[in-house]
Amino acid sequence: MTQPLNGMCVVEIGDSIAGSACTKTFSDYGARVIKVEPFSGNKIRRMPPFKGDIPDINGGAYHLAFDTGKESIIVDYSSNSGLEVLDRLYQLSDLVIFDTTVEKTKKLRSMINGVKYPSTVSITPHGMSGPFQDRRENDMSILAWTTRMYRNSMENMSPLRNAPGSTLVQIGHTAAAVAVGIYWGHQHDQIRRDAEVAGVEAILGNVDTGFVSWIFTGNLPERIGGQLKTRYPTGIYPCKDGYVILSANEEPWFSRLCHAIGHPEILEDERFTKDRENNWHAFMEYLGPYLDQHDKNYIFTHLQEHGVMVAPVLNASDLLDDPQAKARKSFVKIDSAIGEHFLAGAPFHLNKMNDKSFKLESAPKLGEHTNTLLKELDYSKEEIIALFRAKIIG
Amino acid sequence: MTSNLLQGINVLEISEVWAGPFGCSLMGDLGADVIKVESYPRKSETRNAGDPRLDPRVAEGDGPIYERINTHHHGNRNKRNIALDIRTSEGREVLTRLIRWGDILVESFSAGTIDRLGYGWDTIKEINEKITMLSLAGWGQEGPYLGRIMFGVGFDAMAGHSLIRGYQDGTPEEIIPILHSDATVPLTWIVAVLGSLMERDRTGKGSYIDLAQIEDLAWQFPGIISDWKMNNRVAKPVANSDPSIVPHGCYQSAGEDSWINIVAENDSQWQNLAAMMDHSEWAEIGHSWSSIVGRIDSRDEIDSHINQFTKQYDAFDLADKLQAQGIIAAPVLSPPDPLMSPQLHDRNWFQIVDHPYIPERLLGGFLWKIEPDAPSWDKRAALVGENNDEILMQLGFSSDDIAQMRSKEIIGDAYDEATR
Repeated sequence: MTQPLNGMCVVEIGDSIAGSACTKTFSDYGARVIKVEPFSGNKIRRMPPFKGDIPDINGGAYHLAFDTGKESIIVDYSSNSGLEVLDRLYQLSDLVIFDTTVEKTKKLRSMINGVKYPSTVSITPHGMSGPFQDRRENDMSILAWTTRMYRNSMENMSPLRNAPGSTLVQIGHTAAAVAVGIYWGHQHDQIRRDAEVAGVEAILGNVDTGFVSWIFTGNLPERIGGQLKTRYPTGIYPCKDGYVILSANEEPWFSRLCHAIGHPEILEDERFTKDRENNWHAFMEYLGPYLDQHDKNYIFTHLQEHGVMVAPVLNASDLLDDPQAKARKSFVKIDSAIGEHFLAGAPFHLNKMNDKSFKLESAPKLGEHTNTLLKELDYSKEEIIALFRAKIIG
Repeated sequence: MTSNLLQGINVLEISEVWAGPFGCSLMGDLGADVIKVESYPRKSETRNAGDPRLDPRVAEGDGPIYERINTHHHGNRNKRNIALDIRTSEGREVLTRLIRWGDILVESFSAGTIDRLGYGWDTIKEINEKITMLSLAGWGQEGPYLGRIMFGVGFDAMAGHSLIRGYQDGTPEEIIPILHSDATVPLTWIVAVLGSLMERDRTGKGSYIDLAQIEDLAWQFPGIISDWKMNNRVAKPVANSDPSIVPHGCYQSAGEDSWINIVAENDSQWQNLAAMMDHSEWAEIGHSWSSIVGRIDSRDEIDSHINQFTKQYDAFDLADKLQAQGIIAAPVLSPPDPLMSPQLHDRNWFQIVDHPYIPERLLGGFLWKIEPDAPSWDKRAALVGENNDEILMQLGFSSDDIAQMRSKEIIGDAYDEATR
């Protein structure tokens, strides 16, 4: 079996995590991805952590994870000579992903017009039009616009973001879905399309924001922390050796939980059948001792055996030791610029585990493929030297 | 106008909550024909509310509660709906014909359930060798956790994300559970199923896709795993700060529980911010805060000054002024605030949706724009069994067959509100 995206050629022109995250899935599943970088390298190369905390343009964790299997070419496209290189790259490709300012994207996209050119996806914070189009945002400030920071926080305490970089990853992820869609369409009807992903819209229109709930019901989320005290038990609870997360406030999970912890009488107790919202403390007199006596992995196994939705709360060390992750080889060793390195493995498997549809290859060094790509683009030796001397390529 | 982009692709959904259904809606946005096979007579999970007095997911209205729940509506636009009891022989015949019709089958039962129902991959491909089957069980289809159940909040906790989302001096109990996987898994599986259709173009055969939601989350947080493997450090919550950038935070603004994000990534942005705060000297050579290193060494003091500054201003007004100076600044929006966004209105992002049991309202719009073949919102979330007859007739059943199925409660268009 070939890889599913074999035959697809993607050019990535960008300067944030979003573009890199977008094209990662493509390269891991067989597409050819050419990453166009400035002389200083894409910003993602400068994102920590680094091994031993020593900065390395080829060794940052985000670059090593998100640029797997790509080719790197350095092009300064601020001049006509650089734009001419881009034009040849465009014609080599099926899809161009832009992830830069609106002004630059408009300029670079304006060269793409006609049947010989590929479809495009443009990623920006607020979109390619409208009064906010030129605003500067980052991973955290985009999340602020989406009501997710508000939802993540407690009343009168600072709103909170998600993991650093994860907002841009979701935006890139969104771009990947629409990019494959327009590529698929182009293959079938030969129509070139231009898509745009505005980060705020991509997050705000997805599920799990406070906005989608409020606009439908008019109800604001409770901002009282993770454990709901009126509809319980949900949220993170301490146990003997750490924490578990429960989602057992509704039926049939609540009944199953009461049976599993050995207290089916709760289900007949009027404090919980008629006035449950005011009796969280009374309920914890039953649940608390059970959690205190058992460790998270026992609770996970025991309650799941009773059909209760529960999971252990893990850190990185725990996750790499998780029996399921080990059995499925969810994390894999890879040779990289910093030597042996661990990365998350396949997000999906086609036809069977350990198939050949997913292949994790090391991330490229900055400009590693400049010369070979220029030869492929039909530049002569003399022309390549001229571009090098003029600091157009590197 | 319906998008032509995925026209001709038939998607069969036997899936609950969001990770499966929301992705099917996204496929529908692009023109795929999506049929949702809704559980019957047991209600789908997103049709269930807890105590309606306490459950914030239920919209006011006159119809059945199960037709007025936000979580259902938000994951089910652009589909036709058949409510079918697939545990009966007649229901299985309908499902078999739907499998013959489909290009893609999306199921999200716990691992092993679809096999026990008699529709494992070996059976499915016998019925239709061109179909792609996508299974979305949280921990995948193999391994020791086979058959375990959980919502997305559990995968976030297991992926190491929950523990780094809290306040720096807070406790894990305070951390808000989020359904990040429900937002991102659909995006991955769209790539997966369209990739499998490309494979089908080459081989003539469909594929089976095993997507473990926990594994799809894991690749999104490389910092968590890498810091452990590279430096033996377990990531801790950094809240809104960034170890390499000062200022980088969320600050109080005028008004109750009102906040603004401000970031100055470089000396130039800092210079402009200092000027806005009437302290240009903070960015002049000689002042320790004029350099990145000096600012990192004075993080708390700088944050305190910014907090005093931001408290005087409305978050939206101040963000406008700071953005005009090239500084990253954004008000933290509460759920009603997006409706006031001039940007979203300028881009005609909101969609007007009407529904028999809920008054007309604006809902959030699409995740992307496309030219040509813009996504289109052709169908609001269907009522339970709303398209039973149309779908059954398309599959070749007669009016008599349909009447008989209805009388035997193989299909239906209403739930008993009390059952789950």
